[in-house]
Amino acid sequence: MTSRVYVTGMGVVSSLGLGRREFWSSLLAGRSGTAPVSSFDASGLDRAIAAEVSAFRASDHLTAREARDAGRCSAMAIAAARMAVTDAKLSHDALRTERASVVLGTTMGEADVLSRLDESWIRKGRDAVDPADVARYSPSFLPLHVARAFGCRGAVLTLPAACAAGNYAIGYACDLIRAGRADVVITGASEMLEMLQYCGFLRLGALATERCQPFDLNRQGLVVGEGAGVMVLESEAHAVRRGATPLAEVGGCGIACDAYHITRPHPDATGSVRAMREAIERSGLTPDDVDFVNAHGTGTRANDAVETRAMSAVFGARRVPISSVKSMIGHCMGAASAIEAVSCVESVLTGLYPPTIGYETPDPECDLDVVANVAREGKADVVLNNSLAFGGYDAVVCFAKLGRLPAPEAQR
Amino acid sequence: MRPLAITGLGVVSPLGIGWSDFERGYATPSDDVFSSTCSLFETAPYEGVQLAEVRGFDAAKHIGDKGLRNNDRLTKLYLVAARLGLEHAGLKSKGAWTAYGPDDVGVSAANAYGSLEAIHELNLVAKLEDPRYINPARFPNTVINASLGYVSIWEDLRAFNATVVNGPAGAIDSVGCAEMYLTSRRAKAALVGGAEALSESLVLALHRTGMAPPARVGEGAAFALIEPLGAATERGATVYATVTGYGTSFEPPADDGRLFAPSRDALERAVKTALADASLSASEIDLVMSGCSGWEPMDSVERAALEASVGARSRREVKARVGETLGASGAFALAAAVAEFASGGAATALIPSLGFYGNASALVLRRAER
Repeated sequence: MTSRVYVTGMGVVSSLGLGRREFWSSLLAGRSGTAPVSSFDASGLDRAIAAEVSAFRASDHLTAREARDAGRCSAMAIAAARMAVTDAKLSHDALRTERASVVLGTTMGEADVLSRLDESWIRKGRDAVDPADVARYSPSFLPLHVARAFGCRGAVLTLPAACAAGNYAIGYACDLIRAGRADVVITGASEMLEMLQYCGFLRLGALATERCQPFDLNRQGLVVGEGAGVMVLESEAHAVRRGATPLAEVGGCGIACDAYHITRPHPDATGSVRAMREAIERSGLTPDDVDFVNAHGTGTRANDAVETRAMSAVFGARRVPISSVKSMIGHCMGAASAIEAVSCVESVLTGLYPPTIGYETPDPECDLDVVANVAREGKADVVLNNSLAFGGYDAVVCFAKLGRLPAPEAQR
Repeated sequence: MRPLAITGLGVVSPLGIGWSDFERGYATPSDDVFSSTCSLFETAPYEGVQLAEVRGFDAAKHIGDKGLRNNDRLTKLYLVAARLGLEHAGLKSKGAWTAYGPDDVGVSAANAYGSLEAIHELNLVAKLEDPRYINPARFPNTVINASLGYVSIWEDLRAFNATVVNGPAGAIDSVGCAEMYLTSRRAKAALVGGAEALSESLVLALHRTGMAPPARVGEGAAFALIEPLGAATERGATVYATVTGYGTSFEPPADDGRLFAPSRDALERAVKTALADASLSASEIDLVMSGCSGWEPMDSVERAALEASVGARSRREVKARVGETLGASGAFALAAAVAEFASGGAATALIPSLGFYGNASALVLRRAER
């Protein structure tokens, strides 16, 4: 059994705005979501910037019960899911079925709840650990809270695939639909900024001091971000049956593992190349069909150089336009590729490439057609969403304009 | 589903390390595996707890000590179980590939919370000293998928690497996840299973919520190597059992303020789906590998769901032998079912797996034809 898979709705919680329209217009305008860290005391640190979602208040988007039970990560996921379901004009009745699933990714899940538990134990002793908080801590809560919000009764799964988690989740959601095991899947990822994670990246030497400049010769590293990106994916039959207006088609998803190093990508980009090629082949396309690539583009020296090698291996001498929105929204970790998937679909819809801001000095090691500083018009019928991650994970998803991909039988 | 052959098992458990020792330990259950103390932390603050530790566990004995210095216990449990599973399946010998290759094999496995040990270790430094002093070499251990990432690195598994988190249902869902990836031809074979490491954080959490005691807490890791039955036969692999059905479901808890909400309806649906997937009727299930742990709020729901879905069947209480291992519990149930098949009594087994918050999954296994 196979089917086309359509994106029919999207929701975003990001440092550049809540909701896909504000998010997309900010990206096109080249705005930066980077600001001094406000969610914890970073005054003693020699890096103290992040792309936080300071405008997000859970109570604006969640019921009182949800706001009480959900940590910040789940809260952003619920909010983005509500936006996506509204955007898809999908009735809640259509979701109260075993044919409706929720698959979400993350890196750390409810990090604020776990931090609070550890804080109580460390500073006040074991008896201060609140059993109610213990019950609130599980990385599995993201999709469970979302499924509860809409009454979904199908598969409910968390895929914590680090910085590739969004693409892993979207890819798995597509597999569920193509295998005939779900008609509609709410999918994407969420991540919150937390002190321990921030300091971990600081200690790894991965953080930039002032800004994130992917592919620039003088890039210093990444800026940690947070947020959530959620999509409604539907089988063609389900979308047609309810009269939905699809935004884009999801093509193939390629996944691979470098099996090389826990934090560094393989210098030969083996996993990344395999994942990109697989995404293209599973879409029933060739590399020549790809119009634009949303890069993983973290702004670290290693990532951007390796990603360039992957681009070269996949596309040869053809210079495919590439951009990294992490220059604006930071690296949202587990949520990164989910939020960026929303950007990919917007590119498909509008024929616009968001810019890589802060791109000033080309790096010979990153000889790419970077969409520098200003959004660019261009063909965006087929767009790849790249992601690389901790653990050597690589996941790539292809999004395409309606009617651009071959028949589902030619896709995998 | 198309039957998937289980062609190898790698187990690190309180009952023994390696398939033979696990089988032997499983066949002769003893309360001696449980103790009120453990070597990992002081248990005196946790009145009444009973723990099943993998005593004397030394990963270096199985995989050498190179590169292990900064790995946490969860990762080491995973690494040893993976190596044992690959070798038991005949895919590797002394760490080298003997069948298939790196691009052909993926891994999907579950743990419930990531490494609480690693997070607490770094939080102690960050909160009591200074966050600038946390050890960067230990930081990766705090990332939920890191331990399984190390499995791919150590064993050179490049097809896919999927950590699955779904509480006690996670390991069964890891089988469902890998089955999906095998069906979509992302790999030719996959390690599936789960791991959970004893840590004071975990025991504190279970103690504060009133789950342990009465539940007894265990640890360990278990992997099964699964591959399409035809491919297994073609390469002359020993088939220990087949996975023939999987089901999963979620029942949204009533909006009555509760968060903890194990669902009878969800488990009934998961069992029904798994049985249909396996083309079996409830009466054809010989053995139920129960997930009961001694904690009545969960056990009563499982009993009710099974009574309604499969009626009175022979049961094995796996957690009575290895303890509650949360994310790994489904993997231990799977290993135990294969051990039961080997002892000859049953030809089919159902593994129900109930989550804490409305989710549930189930797996159907069939004994290999001799």
